[in-house]
Amino acid sequence: MEPLSWLEILARAAQQLLPVWIALVVTFALSIRFKRKLGLYGKLFDSNVGMIGFAIVMFWLFTAFFADLIITHDPLAQVSRMRNVVPGTPLPRPDALYPYYLFGGDSLARDVFSRMVMGAREVLRIAPFAAMISFMIGISLGLPAGYFGGKLDTGLTFLANLVLAFPVILLFFLLVAPEIQDTLIPVVMAGVLFLVPILFATVLLNSRFFTQPAKRNLYVGIILVIGVWAYAGLVFDADPSGLWSMSPNLLNVFVAVVFVNAPTVFRIVRGITLDIKTRDYVAAAQTRGEGPWYIMLWEILPNARGPLIVDFCLRIGYTTILLGTLGFFGLGVSPESPDWGSTINAGRRLLTVYPHPALVPALSLMSLVLGLNLLADGLREESLKD
Amino acid sequence: MKDMIHGSGDVHAAARMYARECTEGKLSRREFLTRATALGVAVPTAYGLLGLAAPEAQAQTPMMGGTLRMQMSIKAQRDPRTWDWSELANACRGWLEYLVDYQRDGTLTPVLLESWEASEDAKTYTLHIRPGVKWNNGDDLTAAHIAHNFERWCDASVEGNSMATRMGSLVEDGAVRAGGLEVVDDLTLRVNLAQPDIALMVSIADYPAAVVHPAFTGDDPVANPIGTGPYLPTSYEPGIGATVVRNADHTWWNEGNGAWLDQIEFVDLGTDPAAWIAAAEAGEIDLNYQAQGDIIDIFDAIGMPRSEAVTAATIAVRFNQDSEPYNNRDVRRALQMAVNNAIVLELGYNDLGTVAENHHVCPIHPEYAQLPALSVDGAAARAAVEAAGLGDYEFELISIDEPWQAETCDAVAAQVRDAGINIARTILPGATFWNDWTKYPWSATEWNMRPLGVQVLNLAYRSGVPWNETAFSNAEFDGLLDQANGIADADARRTVMQRLEEIMQEEGVMIQPYWRSIFRNARPDVHGAEMHPTFVVDYVNYWKS
Amino acid sequence: MLLFLLRRIGVMFVTALCLTLVVFYLTNLPAKLETLAKTQAGSRMTDEEVARWIDRNGYGSPVLVRYGEWLGVLPGWVREADDGTVTGRCVALRDDPAAAGTRCGLLQGEWGFSTRFRDEVASVIGARLGATGLLMMWVLIVMVPMALLVGVLAGMREGSRTDRTLSTFAIATTATPEYVSGVLFIALLASSTVGLSPLLVSWGWIDGPVLFQGNARSALDTITLSNFTLPVLTIALYGMGYVARITRASMTEVMTQQYIRTARLKGVSFANIVLKHALRNALIAPFTVIMLQIPWLLNGVVISEVLFSYPGFGWTLYEAAVNNDIELLLASSVVAVIVVLVTQLMSDIGYVYLNPRIRIS
Repeated sequence: MEPLSWLEILARAAQQLLPVWIALVVTFALSIRFKRKLGLYGKLFDSNVGMIGFAIVMFWLFTAFFADLIITHDPLAQVSRMRNVVPGTPLPRPDALYPYYLFGGDSLARDVFSRMVMGAREVLRIAPFAAMISFMIGISLGLPAGYFGGKLDTGLTFLANLVLAFPVILLFFLLVAPEIQDTLIPVVMAGVLFLVPILFATVLLNSRFFTQPAKRNLYVGIILVIGVWAYAGLVFDADPSGLWSMSPNLLNVFVAVVFVNAPTVFRIVRGITLDIKTRDYVAAAQTRGEGPWYIMLWEILPNARGPLIVDFCLRIGYTTILLGTLGFFGLGVSPESPDWGSTINAGRRLLTVYPHPALVPALSLMSLVLGLNLLADGLREESLKD
Repeated sequence: MKDMIHGSGDVHAAARMYARECTEGKLSRREFLTRATALGVAVPTAYGLLGLAAPEAQAQTPMMGGTLRMQMSIKAQRDPRTWDWSELANACRGWLEYLVDYQRDGTLTPVLLESWEASEDAKTYTLHIRPGVKWNNGDDLTAAHIAHNFERWCDASVEGNSMATRMGSLVEDGAVRAGGLEVVDDLTLRVNLAQPDIALMVSIADYPAAVVHPAFTGDDPVANPIGTGPYLPTSYEPGIGATVVRNADHTWWNEGNGAWLDQIEFVDLGTDPAAWIAAAEAGEIDLNYQAQGDIIDIFDAIGMPRSEAVTAATIAVRFNQDSEPYNNRDVRRALQMAVNNAIVLELGYNDLGTVAENHHVCPIHPEYAQLPALSVDGAAARAAVEAAGLGDYEFELISIDEPWQAETCDAVAAQVRDAGINIARTILPGATFWNDWTKYPWSATEWNMRPLGVQVLNLAYRSGVPWNETAFSNAEFDGLLDQANGIADADARRTVMQRLEEIMQEEGVMIQPYWRSIFRNARPDVHGAEMHPTFVVDYVNYWKS
Repeated sequence: MLLFLLRRIGVMFVTALCLTLVVFYLTNLPAKLETLAKTQAGSRMTDEEVARWIDRNGYGSPVLVRYGEWLGVLPGWVREADDGTVTGRCVALRDDPAAAGTRCGLLQGEWGFSTRFRDEVASVIGARLGATGLLMMWVLIVMVPMALLVGVLAGMREGSRTDRTLSTFAIATTATPEYVSGVLFIALLASSTVGLSPLLVSWGWIDGPVLFQGNARSALDTITLSNFTLPVLTIALYGMGYVARITRASMTEVMTQQYIRTARLKGVSFANIVLKHALRNALIAPFTVIMLQIPWLLNGVVISEVLFSYPGFGWTLYEAAVNNDIELLLASSVVAVIVVLVTQLMSDIGYVYLNPRIRIS
C-alpha cells in the first residue's frame, strides 16, 4: 500500500474524530441557542476569544471522553517494522488492524495518533481533579484566614509562603522519588489533603441547612458516606468495591501537584476575602446574626466566583504543564503511559531525525493549555462586564 | 616483547590443543585467542600457533599531537578497586596502567607484566614483571608493589571492593590467604590459589584492577596521580568534564608506542543522548563514549561513522525466585514462552545484536554449547498462567530509566500482553534502581561482558552469592559449576556447560533476549578509538590525523 | 521602614530554617541514605556493606542531631578506627585531625561537602551561581524589553487588531512550557538534518552545520550568540507572556484615566501621551511582577540548563537532587529561599518607591 498524503492523513484523522465533532456541534448549538439563560457560561458565547478557547478545551475533553471510539490502535501495542515511521505509513500486515499509522510510529513502534488521543485522557483525568482539590484546600483555608485575620492568618500565610519558597522542581524531586513511596509521607499528606474537601462540603451544607435538621442530616450524611468511601479508597486503597483507587505512584504525583498549587489558591482567596469582607452585604449578614462559616461560604465565596473561575481555568493549564515537567524529569506517572509529558520526553531523544513522536504531544499540550488560557481570558472579560 | 621465553616447549599444552581445534574449524579464532592468551601464551605466539602473523596494531603511522574531545560521563572518583563504572577507570587509564590488557580481538596483552605462566592445574600463576618500568614519582616498579596491589584487591573489609569477588580462591577470611602470594625476586611474583581458577588473568585485566603505587591511600586517584602511564590529569570535575595532558617529566616504559595525543578532554554531557548530538552538531566533541539504538544512525548521519564491538554484554529480564508468584517455576517458564527473543531484539534494541537463549552463556564464550532452539507459544503461556491460578493477576516488570533497557522491557511487556497476560511496567530512576536491584520480583539488569562463560554464572547464579539477583539456588548447578571452574580445557568444560545451560533453561531463571553489540561513533580523523567490548577507552593509543 | 526590613529578614531566617529542616529530613530517609551509599561506594553493594558505610561516614546518628551538626549548633561526629585514625565531619571539612569534635556547620561558615562533585559546597554553589547569573542577566535583557514593548503596544488601544494579535501571542507563549519550546527550538534551529539549518547551509548563508548550537556547555568559557541564544530564548519566552499581559492590563487601565483623557482633549499627540504620561504609571505593576517572576523563572532555569547541559545553578540543583547530594541540596534550597524572599522584598520596596501614594507605616 502507498503511504498517505498529508491531505488524506488529515481527512482520516478528522473521520476518526467524528464523535468529537458531533459532540462539539451539539454543545455549541445548544449553548448559543440558550445562552441568555445560562449566566456567565452563556455570556462566554459573546466573546470570540472565549468561544475559541472553549472550543479547544471541549475538543480535548470530548476526545478524552470518546477516546475508546477514536483510537485506531492499542496505544501500548507495538507493531513490528513500524518504528519511527513517518505519518501515514501503512502497516506491513494489517490483518484486522487499522491499516495506517496516521501520525506515524514512535521509537517503540506504537501508534502516535492513538497515544495522543489516550494521552488526552491521562492528562484530563489528573489535571482538573488536582486543580479542584487544590481549590477546595485553598478556599477552605483562605476564607477563614482572610475573614478572621489575626494569628490564624499569620500562621497560614507563613505556611503558604514556606511552600511557595520551595523551588517547585526540588519539591518534586523530594516528594515524587520512588523511595518516598515506601514511607508513610505520601499517605499522610494525602490523608490530610483529601480530608479538606470532605470537611469543606460538610461545613458548606451544614452552615446553610443547620436550621432545617432533617434536610441537613440527609445532605451531610450523603456527603459523608461518599466522602469517606472515596477517602478510604484513594488514600488507603481500602475501597472494597474498587471504584476509588489510585496507584501509589499516581497518588504521589497527585499529592505533589496539589501541594504545589494549593498555597497559590490560598493567597488568591485570602486576598479576595480581605477585599469582600468590608462590603455592606457582609456587614448586613453579620447584623442578621449569621455564623461566620455561613458568611464565608454563602456570602463571600459566591461573590468571589469570577476571579476564582478564571484562575481555575489557568490552574488546570498550569497543572498540565507541571505534569509534563514531572514527565520531563522522568518522575511522572506510569512509564508506558501515553501522557503527553512523558511522551515528549521520550521523543525528545530522536527529535532531530524523527520529530513527529515528540511534536504531536507537544502541540497537543500547547493547544490544550492555550485553550484553557483563552477560555480564562474570555471569562475574565465577560465577568468584568457585570 | 621477548618471545624467547615462549619457546615451543614453554607453550601450555592446552593452548596447542586449541590451536589444533582452531585449524580444524572446531573453534573460532577469537575464542582460540582468548583461551590461549589467558593461559600465558603471548599474542604473536598464539597467532604463530595458527601459522599466522599477528596483525599490525596500526596500518597507518600515527601522528603526534592534537587534542581529543570525547563525550563521557565523569563521576566522582574513588578507590580504583571499588570502581563500579568503566568510565571511572577510563579517565585514569593515562596514568594508572594494568598488569594485562584485554584487547578488542579477545587477546590478553601484557602491560606491566612481561609475561606469565599458569600451571597445568590452573592453581599457580607465575607473573614476570616488566623490567625498567618507572612510576612517575621516580620509583621502580617491583614485584612487591604488585603483591601490595593483590593484597588491596583481596581486602574484603572495604565496602564495595569488587576485586575481592574477582580474586575468588585467593581470598580467605576477607584477606589474602596465607601463602597466597610469593615474591620470588624483584621481578617475579607467584600466586597460589586454593582452587583452580581459569579466570584469574582476565580478572586482573578488568577495569577495577588498575595498579596503584603503595603510597596511594586515599580514595581519589586524581588528587594523588602516582602511576606508571604517560599522562597526568589537570582537571577533574564530576558532571562537567576532565582534562588529561601528556606528562613531560616522566619517561614512560613504552615511549614511542603510544601517548600520541597532547591532551584529552572528556566532556560530561549528562545521560541524555539529545545533548550529545547537539554537542556533536556544534562541533564540540570528536567522539562519543557509547551510542545506542537510533542514536547511532543519527551520529552516522552527521558525519561520525560507527565502530562496532560484538560482546557478551546483555540484559537479564530475571525473576526473583523468592518472590510471589515467581517462586512457581511454571509461571516463570510460561512468561519465557510468551516472549519471542528475536522480536525483543528488533523492537527493544534495533536488531543490533544476536538473539540469546535465556541461559547467559554467549556463543563467543569458549565453552558455549549449542542447545535446541527455544519455543514461543503465547497460547500455551496464557494457559500455564491460568493453570497457576493467575489468570487475573497483573505482573509487574521493573526497569531502570536508561532508554535501551526501558525499551527492551517495554517490548517484553508488549509480547506478554499479546499472549493475553496482564502486565504493568515500572521505571525507576538510575539513582534509586540499584537500591534493591537484587530484590525486585521481576526486573531487568544490565550485565557487562566477561570473557569466560563460567564467570557470570559464578557471579550471579551460584546459591547465595551477593549478586545473585534471581535467588536461584540449585545444588546440582552449584556442583557442576565448581567442576567447570577447574577444567582449563574448554572442550571438556563444554560438556559440563551444556548441562548448566539446560538447568538454566529448565528452571526458567530469566528472559535473556539478546547479546548486545555496542557502538561508538567518532569523526573520521580519530584513529585507534574503535569501540571495545568492555568499554575500554585506552586513549594512550588514540591519535588524530 | 527599618522595622519593616528587620521583620522581613527575620521571616526569611525562620523560613530558611523550616525549609532546610524539611529538606534535611526528606533527604535523610533511610532509603535515601542507602541510595547515597550506593552511589558513593559502589552500586552493587550488599546490605551489610551499606550499613557499614552509613555508620562509618557519620550518617548513623539521629536526623535531628545531624541537622544540628549541619547548622553548627552541635559538635560534628567523630569516629576512631581500630588503628587509631580519627575521622569526622570537621576532620574532613577542615582537613585537620585536631578539629575532631568541634562545631563546623553553617554558623561557622562551613557549607559542607558535596558528595556529587567532591568539592566544598560553597565553591560549587559559588561557581554555578555565577554561571546562572550570566544566563539570567541575558534572559532579563531579552525578556523585559520585549514583554514591555508587547504589553504597551497591545494596551495602547484596547480591542484593536494589534491588541488582539499581540495578546494572543502573549497567551501562546505562556501556554508553551520550556520543555516544549526548548525542544521545538532545537528541532527547528539546531539540527543539521531537519529544520532551518540545512536550508541555510544549502543557500550558503551560514558556515557551520547549524544556525545555533543545541548545547550550551561551551558558553562556560565564552558566551557567543551561537551557544547562548537558545537557552536564553527558551527561558525568556515562557516568562515573557505573563509580564506582557500584566503590562497590557496596567496600560489599558492607565489609558482610561481622567488625566489621559484630559491630555487627549488638550490635543497632545498620541505618541506623546503614551511616552510622557501613561508609561510611568503603567510600569509600576509590571515592575513588581518582574521581580516576582525571577524566582518563578528558576523552574525554567532548571529545565533549560538541563536541556542544554549548561552547568549553572539549576543544573546543579538537578544533579544534587538526582544523586541525593544532601549538603549541596540544602545549600541550594537556602539560596532559593533567599532569592525568593529578596525579590519579594525588592518588589515591595520598588512598589513603594515607584508609587508615591503608598507609604509603609
